[in-house]
Amino acid sequence: MTEHQTVGIVMIEDDEGHARLIEKNIRRAGISNGIRHFTDGTTALDFLFNAPEGPALNGPALILLDLNLPDMSGTDILVRIKAEGSPLKRTPVVVLTTTDDKVEIQRCYDLGCNVYITKPVNYESFATAIRQLGLFLSVIQVPEIEG
Amino acid sequence: MPGTRTKLVMDNRPIGRVLMACMILGFASLVATGVAAAWLTGRNQEHTRWVNHTYEVELAIANASIAIEQGETPRRGYLITRAPAYLETYRANRARQPEILAKVSRLTADNPRQRANYAMLVALVGNLQRQRDLTIGLVQQGRGREAIARFFTETAAQRMMKIRAVATRMADEERRLLKIRDAEQTRSVRAFYLVLALAGLILLVVAILSLTTVMRYTRDLTRSRDSLNTLNETLEAQVVERTADLSLANDEIQRFAYIVSHDLRSPLVNVMGFTAELAATIAPLEDLLERAEATAPEIVSEDARLAVREDLPEAVSFIRTSTQKMDRLINAILKLSREGRRVITPERLDIAELVGTIRASMQHIIDDRGATVSVEGSIPGIVSDRVAIEQILSNLIENATKYLQPGRSGVITVSGHEARGRVHLAVADNGRGIDPRDHSRVFDLFRRSGAQDQPGEGIGLAHVRALAYRLGGTIDLASELGKGATFRLNLPKILNTQDPKA
Repeated sequence: MTEHQTVGIVMIEDDEGHARLIEKNIRRAGISNGIRHFTDGTTALDFLFNAPEGPALNGPALILLDLNLPDMSGTDILVRIKAEGSPLKRTPVVVLTTTDDKVEIQRCYDLGCNVYITKPVNYESFATAIRQLGLFLSVIQVPEIEG
Repeated sequence: MPGTRTKLVMDNRPIGRVLMACMILGFASLVATGVAAAWLTGRNQEHTRWVNHTYEVELAIANASIAIEQGETPRRGYLITRAPAYLETYRANRARQPEILAKVSRLTADNPRQRANYAMLVALVGNLQRQRDLTIGLVQQGRGREAIARFFTETAAQRMMKIRAVATRMADEERRLLKIRDAEQTRSVRAFYLVLALAGLILLVVAILSLTTVMRYTRDLTRSRDSLNTLNETLEAQVVERTADLSLANDEIQRFAYIVSHDLRSPLVNVMGFTAELAATIAPLEDLLERAEATAPEIVSEDARLAVREDLPEAVSFIRTSTQKMDRLINAILKLSREGRRVITPERLDIAELVGTIRASMQHIIDDRGATVSVEGSIPGIVSDRVAIEQILSNLIENATKYLQPGRSGVITVSGHEARGRVHLAVADNGRGIDPRDHSRVFDLFRRSGAQDQPGEGIGLAHVRALAYRLGGTIDLASELGKGATFRLNLPKILNTQDPKA
């Protein structure tokens, strides 16, 4: 697991409560990677691409992305990340959102999202889902960032 | 919204009445003409008869004159020659005279003037005859000379002249009458031509009037037909336009419902999530309380005990049940909105078969509730969306088995008929019925009617109605409390696949 310690988790989620619940449950799954939380798309994109400690300039990362953001759609962020020539195009993106619309799901996968998870309303299911995501995060391989 | 409403202006002028009046007038003038012609023919015949009569009278007078004149010749012959042949001729002529005179009398019987003339004529002829007979008698007696002397002295020639004058007068009288009759005839003919001209004029006017009326009517008809054609031609475009507008509005509502339900869900996740977190904290608190009670009961206040053991679990439980209910409601809205977005695929459906499938799938529920489901009569085929129809029917049948009248086993019948391109389906039950006040309300989301003794959120019928609308249909309900309910579904026989979303 030591190898994965360096992988930072970037969580883009406008709802503080959801963010807190997600973090709690990821921690309960035993994941101790650093989690950076952003509540809007603009600062998140700025961090992803431009911050010196951000993933584009500094090491591998894994992105948890909500689609409903106040300033832009999560799919816009997804497009930016997965765009041709983006340094983060191989970075795994987990879309974690309340939307379970078929069209939306298809669109996200078309845009290059790696995993799409619908937040269950029922908290038991929600907690279970996040914990399983945590377990999943602990085993996936994240590619190195190419300059 | 474009699409000018073309209004059909129906001309309400009493065209029929005008035409009828024209026809009556036309026929009346024709009848008048006919009557006039008949009258004229009668007059003509009468006139002809009178003309003939005149000629007859003239002829009779002429005959009489001739006979009288002719009587003179054998008399004179006999006076001179005393040949018996002359006597015979004379006698024959004399014998003929009364008959000839009687004819004149008969023919002129109607005219007092002629009667007077005739009387004069008869008197003259009588005198003449007497003189003639006298001379003839003298000759026969051998008194020839006396007879001839008598002949010289007698006034036969004058009498003859008088007779001729009377005859001429009689003929003149007849001619005068003929002239009067001719004038009358001319007047009649003139009157006839007048009537004819008048009738012709009326007919002409009537013809022109009828023709213009008919032409105007035809023109109006043509105009109406043209506007109707235009309307027909644009109707399809209008329908397409309206349908597009409608589905746009529908899309808007669907999107709204979706966004609302979706965005409501997000905070709900937090409420439920943190309630669960809160609930999870009760256990360690409880633990702590127990340990405190065991080791140092004096620090445990009654309030703390109540808070941990009663208030906290109670609050969490209420929050949970409420949020769960809210979650169900939001899910219902989501389901409805998603149903609206589902792609409709029309196919040929056998409703009876479909009911059979539904009955089989909920057989245990039907049996548990003590009901029977049957199809009544034959149900016309329909082209529609299988899933939607199945959901509608199963919802209605499930409802029917759910709200039974206590003490009465449920009898549920599905029937259908076809009318003007629509299929009418009815799901009837003998259950507890629905208060007429609630008939439209029960189709609203989250609204229910009657005793709330059955589980449910008030979603089923709202879903049914949304589906019916989606299939281009309508649904309504006939029911009285305690007397069962009939849900009537009106669907297009063939679902229009040109639905923009389909």
